[in-house]
Amino acid sequence: MKLRIFITAFAAFLSLMLLQGDALAEVPNFPVLVPLTGFLSLEGTSQRNGAVMALDEDKSVAYGVFDTATSPEVAVNAMERALRDRIHTGVIIGPILGTQMLAMLPLAEEYQVPLVTISGTAKLTEMGNPWIFRFFPGDAVTKVAHARYAVEELGRRRPAILYQTTAYGQSGRGHLETTFRSLGAVPVYQEGLDVSVRDVTAALAKAMAAKPDVLVLHLHSGPTALLVRQARAQGIDLPIVAGSAMHQPTTAALLEPSELRDVCAETGSSPISGGSPEMERFTADYREKFGSDPDAFALAQYDATRMLLVARHTGPTGGAPLRDWLASHEFRGLAMTYKSDGKGNMAHDAVIVCYDGSTRTPHIAMRYKGVDLAR
Amino acid sequence: MEFLQLAINGIALGAAYALVALGFVLILNATGAVNFAQGDLVAAGGFLAVALAGFLPVPGLLLLPLVVILMAGLGLAVSAAAYWPLRDRPPVAVFISTIALGIVIQNGLNGLFGAEPRAAPPLFSGGHLEFFGLVIARQSLAIMGVAALLIGGVQLLLKHTQLGRRLRATAQDREVAAALGVPVGAMVALTFALAAALAGVAGLLLANQFFITPTHGTDFIVKAYIAVVIGGWGRVGGALAGAMLVALFETVVAAWTDYAVATGLLYAALLTILVFRPQGLFGEAEGRRA
Amino acid sequence: MTARNPVRAWLGRDINVLLLAGAIGLAAWPFFAGDAYSLRLLTVAGIYALAAIGYQFVFGHAGALSLAQGAFFGFGAYVAGILSVRMGAGFEVTFPAAIAASTVLAALVALPVLRLQSHYFALATLGIGQVVLLVAVNWESVTGGANGIPNVPALSLLGATVGRGWPMLLLVWSLVAIGALIARRLTGGLTGAALRLMREQPMAAEAAGIDIRGVRFAAFLLSALYGGAAGALQVHTVRVVSPEVLEFPVMVMLLAIAVIGGRTSVAGAILGAVLLVHLPEWFRPLERYYLMAYGLALLAMIVAAPWGLIGLLRHVRQRWLPEPEPPPPVAGPMPVGRPPARLEITGLTRRFGGIRAVDGIDLVVTPGESVGIVGANGSGKTTLLNMIAGAEKPDSGRIGWAQADIAGLPPYRIARAGIARTFQTLKLVDGTTALDNVAAASWHEFGGPGRDAARAAAMALLQKLDLAETAWKPCGALPPGLRRRVEIARALIGGPALLLLDEPAAGLTAAERDSLAGTLAALNNDGTTVVVVEHDLAFLEKFVARIVCLDQGRIIADGAPADVRADPGVVAAWLGQPLDEGGGHG
Repeated sequence: MKLRIFITAFAAFLSLMLLQGDALAEVPNFPVLVPLTGFLSLEGTSQRNGAVMALDEDKSVAYGVFDTATSPEVAVNAMERALRDRIHTGVIIGPILGTQMLAMLPLAEEYQVPLVTISGTAKLTEMGNPWIFRFFPGDAVTKVAHARYAVEELGRRRPAILYQTTAYGQSGRGHLETTFRSLGAVPVYQEGLDVSVRDVTAALAKAMAAKPDVLVLHLHSGPTALLVRQARAQGIDLPIVAGSAMHQPTTAALLEPSELRDVCAETGSSPISGGSPEMERFTADYREKFGSDPDAFALAQYDATRMLLVARHTGPTGGAPLRDWLASHEFRGLAMTYKSDGKGNMAHDAVIVCYDGSTRTPHIAMRYKGVDLAR
Repeated sequence: MEFLQLAINGIALGAAYALVALGFVLILNATGAVNFAQGDLVAAGGFLAVALAGFLPVPGLLLLPLVVILMAGLGLAVSAAAYWPLRDRPPVAVFISTIALGIVIQNGLNGLFGAEPRAAPPLFSGGHLEFFGLVIARQSLAIMGVAALLIGGVQLLLKHTQLGRRLRATAQDREVAAALGVPVGAMVALTFALAAALAGVAGLLLANQFFITPTHGTDFIVKAYIAVVIGGWGRVGGALAGAMLVALFETVVAAWTDYAVATGLLYAALLTILVFRPQGLFGEAEGRRA
Repeated sequence: MTARNPVRAWLGRDINVLLLAGAIGLAAWPFFAGDAYSLRLLTVAGIYALAAIGYQFVFGHAGALSLAQGAFFGFGAYVAGILSVRMGAGFEVTFPAAIAASTVLAALVALPVLRLQSHYFALATLGIGQVVLLVAVNWESVTGGANGIPNVPALSLLGATVGRGWPMLLLVWSLVAIGALIARRLTGGLTGAALRLMREQPMAAEAAGIDIRGVRFAAFLLSALYGGAAGALQVHTVRVVSPEVLEFPVMVMLLAIAVIGGRTSVAGAILGAVLLVHLPEWFRPLERYYLMAYGLALLAMIVAAPWGLIGLLRHVRQRWLPEPEPPPPVAGPMPVGRPPARLEITGLTRRFGGIRAVDGIDLVVTPGESVGIVGANGSGKTTLLNMIAGAEKPDSGRIGWAQADIAGLPPYRIARAGIARTFQTLKLVDGTTALDNVAAASWHEFGGPGRDAARAAAMALLQKLDLAETAWKPCGALPPGLRRRVEIARALIGGPALLLLDEPAAGLTAAERDSLAGTLAALNNDGTTVVVVEHDLAFLEKFVARIVCLDQGRIIADGAPADVRADPGVVAAWLGQPLDEGGGHG
């Protein structure tokens, strides 16, 4: 009996699923393909929220949100799915995960569809693919600001670098080392940490044995908080300059304000630090809509989506016309002004935020403008 | 000194892994099945503690009874959904069904709580103590104490109580146990409830010390699995030793080499142990094979 | 021959009608939903199907829970990706290279891991995957580290590009078809029955001359070979190679495909792959909850169909289109008897801890003899028998057989030398018919395609042992007396020169004992040497000419049954104690 019910239900379900199609609308469609599950779902959710906020404010385009999880295979499947409706879909909002973007690039070229992302992986814009537009400062911007702040502003010469053995971590580590060397501050210690490492005492002990004068972190959110906490517990009171994960309000929420003393972080922006009435309104709206604090990823994706919407209202909604429009126009967003450098890098500014040890809200300590343009 | 500090941290970490492995071993013993959702149950326990702390801003110790009761309920649900319908099937069916359930729990947590790392309240209070230059977090002491209590308690329960004898009889041969009048179904359900409650305790403790995200369950289960195999399939004491070994590789060995090499060496050690002692370091608990 | 409805007859064979319908449906699908997305999903499904068909060799057929298939798949992907990006190699190079690399990796790790059992094997194979992943992430100069290697070109075969969509779909599914045919050939026919015997009754399989370690090794290598092939295809579909391809979710996917589709059926692997690749896609509109729905669907499927969807379909067909029992096959000639030989045991000793279970036994059995071995419990009878058959290794001593010392050889080699055995507790495959239980034991002789010849030989033995009626009955449903005889028939299919029986009368009724004694006497008359370990002296006296009595690992009497019965030493050590209803010692 159980068996028969199961078979009937299964057959019904199967036929339903085979018949289903994505609803067609008469307006342009901006698919949002971001990681909502797996280890990057925190950043992916920020991406989603930023994009959805811009799209909901505008209401002139349709959109669907699809998970890309953690593998390139899933991302490429999701992209093909989104592009089934070629008439209305002429642009894709792509995931923050670099490997997924790398897998989507050849498809974007074949389908002639611009890919808009906030992934920091340097390689994305180094492959001569004209269809990628990156609205978050890449490693070539943030890691330069990261290293310069440690050397030029803090006056440190002996950095110890701890990075994650993920695409994000390894890509950024390369840029950090290059920049530190060019500034004459050769890293005294470097080690990669797996995301599953829970106790970082070993890494701290080895790093401290190399007698560094600053700890430079390039880790994801949870590991950054773990490392800061365990370093402070071990009585290590060196300044820490962390990667952009530290600026996320959810990371700071894991730590006591006192543990955050002398901790700084690079990022594209820091919405909760305020700075302008527009920024404060964005932060307030975001909190109301999603019940959480916005981070730089959400803001960057918001800005990127708004630029797409500006294009849509002035003409191109996809394909080569949109690509050319994005490549040739400048857009004043909330975080910064975006303009392509010819390779698809739209964001060229980075900020350094620092915590003063009394609150979990950082202040902007330094702005680096046009970092990768001024060569 | 540095070595001592690493060793202490290693033992604290090992105690944490042992807590995760404990529930895994219990279910293994009672049913011969691998519960691959055990790691996700730990994550669920952690998030439950985080959620409860949102309503009741009290120390973890006071939240513990609530977490234990609610998680025991979840354990009953796990046994009803993923084990009981498959009890007469090959053990690999339960292996897959618990993996599927793990996917459900992990993504349920991700949907309910979001992906950001969370911290549960400490058992007593946060901070750390210092003795002779050694630093040890109060929460680490709490984890070691709770792990020692629970492992000892479970051993006592299994070896010296009527309930424990019935649980062991169920583990060794369900048909014989049923013929002897042991309520087999109840024993299995009870084991799952107990294992999930232990996962809840582990989750509450670890979610303070190491934070918790929905994907952490996967890391935990792999480490618990290694610990249980190294120690000898189904041995509570062996799992404790295995957990310590895994943790020492992550701290002491990682300090001598680096994390990647230490992980490689852990697997090399695992293979070597299995080649020379194909039943684990301490041999297999009798009559149990999944 | 009974007249049968030809349609019915055709339907009755395996599940061809369902297979055909499935194949047609699968082939028609892309024509209906022929967009790039559907083509891609079906391509990806084909790749997973290929890897899962391979996985079935080790997991389904050899019955070993390997968690290394994801690693072989990913390793193949890395080898193909690196060769095609760094050296511009075409598929004609990358495909064989990926296959060779994965197979070599499997051969290297097989030595330490293949001897492990159950979950130790599972964890060791999981460890292999983790180490390969670790290398891929950390050896940045070669593998590109966690970022992997981008810009893998579209597949090119002998200079021609096989593009995305239809061309790639056709290439992948052609390879799936080839792989499926090879797999069916390798595991079908008699081999399927032999593999089942090996999985469910490994000791009986060894005693039937099957080299289990060899079969497991071959299955492990084959699974890696298919995994590598699938990996080489995957890398050109995804166009990057990155560590995600080596991570645990890929392994979980393959395991789920094999369990949900069906562990040993090629059609199951294909059905499972198509279903599991599409399942998450169907739920995708649920945003972040879609994986939860996927997990629930997975759980529901395994609970509703724990033997896999193919098992479920067979079950359904059995209910709606019940298959009439076919007529028994025509009996072939009896198996050719092996040349008779002399069994010459000298100084055979086996210790367990401090106890000498067998203590320096000397024993000669001449060809054509029939010998009973008796003794109290723990006197060493079964240990002696197990050492002759190779199931236990002696500590010292010699077992001479046909001009060779067979002491300490593995059971399958002793079986191939013409010594067959039965077991004290029956070791039959309950779910398989009596006919195939017997036929499976001749796999070593007939090979996979020889099923009809093997069945004919098995039928001859069943007839000889009065079992013709049971041919198509599953063994689990037979009464104990018949099951004993099926086991004897199985032992005889190799035409052994020496037959070892371990308490064949245990659990039989008096009538069954008489009939069994008659059967054994007839066998002995035909020239088979028979050695029987038994408690029941009265049973033995019906057909043996010589009885050997053991006590504490030594021979205390050896002679005609009447003499042994009267021997004072035997009376003191064995017969003097109260007799149970079987006439021996309980």
